[in-house]
Amino acid sequence: MHNVTDYTDLVETVLAKAAREADEAEVYLSVSDSVSLELRRSQVGEAEKAVSWAMGIRTITDGHIGASLTESPARWEDCLRAALASGRIADSQAWNGLPEPVQFSREIDTFDSTLIPDAGTATDLITALCNAAEGGEGEIAGGGVSLGRGSSLIANTHGVFYTRESTSASASLEVINGTSTGYEFDHVTYLRDLNTERVAKEAMFFADYWAGAGDIESCTADIVLTPSALSQLIGGILMPALSGRNVHAGRSHLADKKGEPCMDSSFVLYDDPYVGKGATRWDADGVATRKLDFIKDGTVQSFAYDLRTAYRYGETSTGSAVRSGAGGAPAVGVHCLKLDARRDNVREEKAICTHGLIGAHTANTITGDFSVELSNAAWVENGEYGAPIRSAMLSGNLFAMLADIAGAGEEKRELGRMTLPEVRFNNLHVIGKEQ
Amino acid sequence: MATEEPRYYDLRHLVGTSTHIEIENGTIEAAGQSFADSAIVRALGSAGWGMVIIDNFSEAGDSGLKQAIADALALSRATGERVELADVQTGVLPVPAIKEDPREVSLEEKTQLLASIESAARLPGIVNTRAHYVESEGTFRFMDSSGNEYQYESLRSGYSILAVAEKGGEMQQARESEHSITGLNMRHKEGKAREAAERALLLLSAEPARGGTMHAILDPELGGVFAHEAIGHASEGDLVKEGVSVLKGMMGQQIASPVVTVVDDPTLPEFGFMPVDAEGSAVKRTEIIRNGVLANYLHSRETLAVVGEGVAGHARADGSSFPIVRMSNTFIENGDATMDEILEGCKTGILLKGSRGGQVDPGRGVFQFNAEYGYLIVDGEQRGMVRDVSLSGDILSTMHNIALCGKDRKMTPGYCGKGGQSVPVTDGAPHLLLKNAVVGGRHA
Repeated sequence: MHNVTDYTDLVETVLAKAAREADEAEVYLSVSDSVSLELRRSQVGEAEKAVSWAMGIRTITDGHIGASLTESPARWEDCLRAALASGRIADSQAWNGLPEPVQFSREIDTFDSTLIPDAGTATDLITALCNAAEGGEGEIAGGGVSLGRGSSLIANTHGVFYTRESTSASASLEVINGTSTGYEFDHVTYLRDLNTERVAKEAMFFADYWAGAGDIESCTADIVLTPSALSQLIGGILMPALSGRNVHAGRSHLADKKGEPCMDSSFVLYDDPYVGKGATRWDADGVATRKLDFIKDGTVQSFAYDLRTAYRYGETSTGSAVRSGAGGAPAVGVHCLKLDARRDNVREEKAICTHGLIGAHTANTITGDFSVELSNAAWVENGEYGAPIRSAMLSGNLFAMLADIAGAGEEKRELGRMTLPEVRFNNLHVIGKEQ
Repeated sequence: MATEEPRYYDLRHLVGTSTHIEIENGTIEAAGQSFADSAIVRALGSAGWGMVIIDNFSEAGDSGLKQAIADALALSRATGERVELADVQTGVLPVPAIKEDPREVSLEEKTQLLASIESAARLPGIVNTRAHYVESEGTFRFMDSSGNEYQYESLRSGYSILAVAEKGGEMQQARESEHSITGLNMRHKEGKAREAAERALLLLSAEPARGGTMHAILDPELGGVFAHEAIGHASEGDLVKEGVSVLKGMMGQQIASPVVTVVDDPTLPEFGFMPVDAEGSAVKRTEIIRNGVLANYLHSRETLAVVGEGVAGHARADGSSFPIVRMSNTFIENGDATMDEILEGCKTGILLKGSRGGQVDPGRGVFQFNAEYGYLIVDGEQRGMVRDVSLSGDILSTMHNIALCGKDRKMTPGYCGKGGQSVPVTDGAPHLLLKNAVVGGRHA
């Protein structure tokens, strides 16, 4: 198992060379080992091990920012040359320096020292997953288990040298019953938290319950979006609108709404970078992270900034840089997003509840308009599932929906970098397929 | 006890460079290169696949390869499904000639060309313009335990331009892009940027679409997405093998209107071109549907051995990822209808143009895709512009509802995601008339 600390000498060599050719430089290193098993129906058909290594170099000279990425330690000089060349072409911008090192007062919890990515552990988990799926009418179509252990490092010419270790365990299952499909997954930091039984039972329930689904007529109805369905719209539409870069560049619906109530008065959205799977004490610029309130009481409080965007527009970095830019460069993102609204029994009154959306990525990311196909949707009432819906389309505008929230459920679910409850929205247009 | 030997192994190694340029609102945000060096080694033990993916494989040498094969073989012991591989033809097609090699054009000049495109989109009323250039070049090396060995160079490049229009607090966006395997395609493209900007401005006054069941005309770009999402994915042999395709067991049946022929052809010199597939199989044109009848599934060696009824040579991989069954250049063949006949056949309905992508659940047989914009059709004539319009349906019923195919097929490059991997593809179709389509829109 390799670790970023195995490459400390290389990082220092790169920084020393870069410091001679640029005003400032930064090295980001990420290494990981993972093992995964994939199911073909109920048998394991593939066993995969991945050994990853990637290093990003960023240089800044007179406000010209350059970046490059390599998967080979031997090519670090090519990578540095490419970063410097890239900086010579990029336009200069206002720049007040990479961050200085700071002391962190809090720890984060992203590492399970007992989690070793090995085929034996993965085999035990996948056996448990398949055993838990027995007893239903549906058949396992696919799924898998993955175990990963990785570390990352950021260092710059001002003395920043931070490391972070993380582990992950995930399980997923796809079940089919006729033409009814069910899919569920779990993704956790600690191996002991991986709930293969819940994954299996849920996937089987979806496939079996929706096997008897029927069509509905077009109607206006309240819609309950489960965390998995809601996360698709929040990630695809709302978060880009809260990026400081999009706000200042003229492509955010929320650009002129800071301080204005524009959503339901109970709606809350914030990034708590110390709690969650994406927890980190430093962001991709090496800036210390902090809690960031995006929306409070339905009013936009802040936008997210990385260092580059903040310097350019006279703002302060919110510690929101993540490694998602071209060439491994930092870009504005979130670490551990939390969403909430007034608590209510969202399945008490009659509504359509949907667990998935097909085509959420085709939404209009600027206006918030979308039109998607529902997946595993059913009528709910008195807290119970009613008639399952075979196929229907939901059309709406996410920003308008967030201004008309009926309530949020008690239970929250962590999905990637988001933690969110299911949320009920008032009066949306559903296009049914009953002739 | 004798040391276990793999029944089969192969290596796929990519060493390459990617170039990206980004310009927003007249500012050169980034212009640089990154370097890839990664390999996958697969081995078949007594049951299924064991595989190892290793970054920085160039440093591994022969001993690294032997170790990777041993590791993959050891991993394969965790599998239970016995994998067999069909015998297939091998061979590599020549890579289409490059008209202007982008590697011979400096990064500075490419940045200037993109800047010219980006600036052309800055029309009055446009508040944001963003242009990207992406170029990936590399050498793929493949070898397997059957003695096959090949190496080829891959070069893809293209640009995109996005324009955002704003008026009175309302915003709309439009996008144009072109990607190619035949060389640099950024010269004299300012007109495409203006097209995006003008359409974004027009969309400001377009009405939201009215949802419901109606006749729809699909333009060639959206028709291509329809072919890809509604038919292409469901014909992929791995989905058929695992039982999550509605096309399972339907070979030889009339699953579409007789005017429909759907083809996947990796040999075409389009963005989805492959000289050979990701496990060394020769590629060839594959008719998925011929005159409405399901004719072939798309296969890898493994799925061909299990499912049959189709053609191997459709295994693809994103970089050093595991090869899976994928489409390449997928299209609906030309029919014989004129545009006037299609408009007349529609009479009252909607014309859908451009694409913001789509998705399918092949097990349920349900697909969705979104047009960039559209026009109402009234009495066979094109009327007012509408926005945010999508289409969904059941694969098996919708394919019978294609009433007319035009004779103006065009191909549009893009990317397709499956199993966490993204590969370059081209989709295409002529104008199509789809009867009784379920159209999504915010207005009831």
